[in-house]
Amino acid sequence: MKEQDRIPTSRLERTGNFLKTGAKVGGNYLKHYSKKLLGTDNTEELQRENAEDIYDALSKLKGSALKVAQMMSMDEGVLPRAYTEKFAQAQYSAPPLSYPLVVKTFKSQLGSSPSELFDSFSKNAVAAASIGQVHRAGKDGKKLAVKVQYPGVASSISSDLKIVRPIVGTMLNISTSEMNHYLQEVEERLMEETDYKLELERSVIISKACETIEGLEFPTYYPEYSAERILTMDWLQGQHLSEFLKSEPSQEIRDKIGQVLWEFYDFQIHELRQVHADPHPGNFLFREDGTIGVIDFGCIKEFRKDFYDHYFQLMIPEVTNNDQAFESLLFELDFLLKADSPEEVAHFKKVYFEVHHLLAQPFFVDEFDFSDTHYFARIYALSEVYQNDKMLRKAKAARGPRDAIYLNRTYFGLYSLLHKLGARIQTKSRVRRVLEH
Amino acid sequence: MDSNTATPEIKSSDNVKNRIVQAYKEYVLLNGTEPPSIFAFCKDLGITEDVFYEHFNHFGQVAASFWSDLFSNVTKEIKSDEAYPDYSVREKLLSFYYAYFEMLKPHRSFALLSFKDSVSLLKRETQHLKEMKKDFKLWATELVNEGMRNGEIAQRPKVTNGYDNILWLQFLFLLNFWRKDESRGFERTDAAVEKSVRFGFDLMEKNALDSAFDFGKFLFQDK
Repeated sequence: MKEQDRIPTSRLERTGNFLKTGAKVGGNYLKHYSKKLLGTDNTEELQRENAEDIYDALSKLKGSALKVAQMMSMDEGVLPRAYTEKFAQAQYSAPPLSYPLVVKTFKSQLGSSPSELFDSFSKNAVAAASIGQVHRAGKDGKKLAVKVQYPGVASSISSDLKIVRPIVGTMLNISTSEMNHYLQEVEERLMEETDYKLELERSVIISKACETIEGLEFPTYYPEYSAERILTMDWLQGQHLSEFLKSEPSQEIRDKIGQVLWEFYDFQIHELRQVHADPHPGNFLFREDGTIGVIDFGCIKEFRKDFYDHYFQLMIPEVTNNDQAFESLLFELDFLLKADSPEEVAHFKKVYFEVHHLLAQPFFVDEFDFSDTHYFARIYALSEVYQNDKMLRKAKAARGPRDAIYLNRTYFGLYSLLHKLGARIQTKSRVRRVLEH
Repeated sequence: MDSNTATPEIKSSDNVKNRIVQAYKEYVLLNGTEPPSIFAFCKDLGITEDVFYEHFNHFGQVAASFWSDLFSNVTKEIKSDEAYPDYSVREKLLSFYYAYFEMLKPHRSFALLSFKDSVSLLKRETQHLKEMKKDFKLWATELVNEGMRNGEIAQRPKVTNGYDNILWLQFLFLLNFWRKDESRGFERTDAAVEKSVRFGFDLMEKNALDSAFDFGKFLFQDK
């Protein structure tokens, strides 16, 4: 892996990157409109070009900006399809830092260098995580994975987000209030993600709670070799999704893996009420025997009880099909606001009904085939529904509960994982049992 | 140096030299200036003036000895790491800088006071670093030679002879940067080290410049 040329760290430099992108995106629009004048409409192409330029800028920023990109790409309402695909690759592209800086981090965090702590330690990073890099290490015959965080990530988060806010808002045509609504929640989660000590604690809790689910393997974590910016765990066997799929696993294995993932998430959301909210393919290792290793618990979202109790009503057809019950639920969840006019209420109710009905579709049947490209085309098309809905665009206030952002992200990530796997899933969920209880 | 130790005081010259440097540092830190005279300084320390002159001629040399001691401690420290011999030249340089600023950290106040008169270390070289500069350049020349042997640094007649100077300027630049760094844990200095070393090696390794030169020479000779 080639080390990156440079990380832009000063706020000015980062702003510069965004301005360049803004200019480029502006150029893309210009091209788009001139083509439109000439009679050729090409919105898809425009969005693809914009996505590439925004992506280039964000990937240079690394760290939190990259996370924001990933986040937004996973929230179905915000980004058009072209962005989503581009951003989904983001995790794999952050280049590593030099070995002496890794040594320095070890010395300041754990008091000794990697060569003193371990029997072996790879000088070069073997993989990149979005805010850190992974080294391979050995100790007493055990193979270990050591995650080292880039310095300065935590301190640059708020300034990153301050830069992201207006510019991305303009580029993606999102109002400031909507942006703030998202970013406040995002900032909280991002700050948590920079604390590897917290990640270790949570990993231990969740992997303990989920150990009964068959087909999952969790690494053992080593607190004695971990600190705020260093996290040491067992090295798990397995392949990343794209490599795994290249080996052409049978439908049976795909289904089996998909089912394990489904169980894992259903269990977390409905039993633990906290979820590993980052079902990014890079956080799992896939094996030929249909089992998976779970290697990243950086992002955990806990659900408050009142949010949980209301929100998951949306997955019960008896509720959503009852006009009166549905409407009062939308008010409870802030999808509808008291200030809305009767026309707005009627209109938004219709939009949200379509959206939620589509997203919850796997829950309405016993078995769902996630390889269904038609279904995913409709999900991707939702963003265009949002974007083209004049009334929704005009309404400046942000809608929907903040807590739903990471829940949406979780489901969106899970759905796309299952889609890539092409898995058929028994979609029986605990949600009914839990809510009726 | 610990006065509580029961061992009889050994008047080894190193020990005295060390005490002088420590006392000098402490005086500067507490008073913000140098002691008024060598006489007063020696009296406070409980030594006679001629003992002082065995080691130093003036206070400037005492300060300079702090900096050259630090340098030799840092190079000793990084060489003590088992992995060090296997490092590339670029990594050796990086580890020097990281260790240097780590070991300088406990003496930050003294360092800032030492340079309080110079706005930029690059513009006017301070007397305090004079002695260290000699050691640094010897060490840098060694590194450059190693780099040329293993191919990390391109051999460029005449030009390569000046590399030790360039590395010295880089060191001054980083020291100056660290002086003004207000980030938590001096993380900005880490980034500056990472970037400037990378930039330096991008210039020093074989690159388009060499091919351009080679091509130009070819055309010239072909006339």
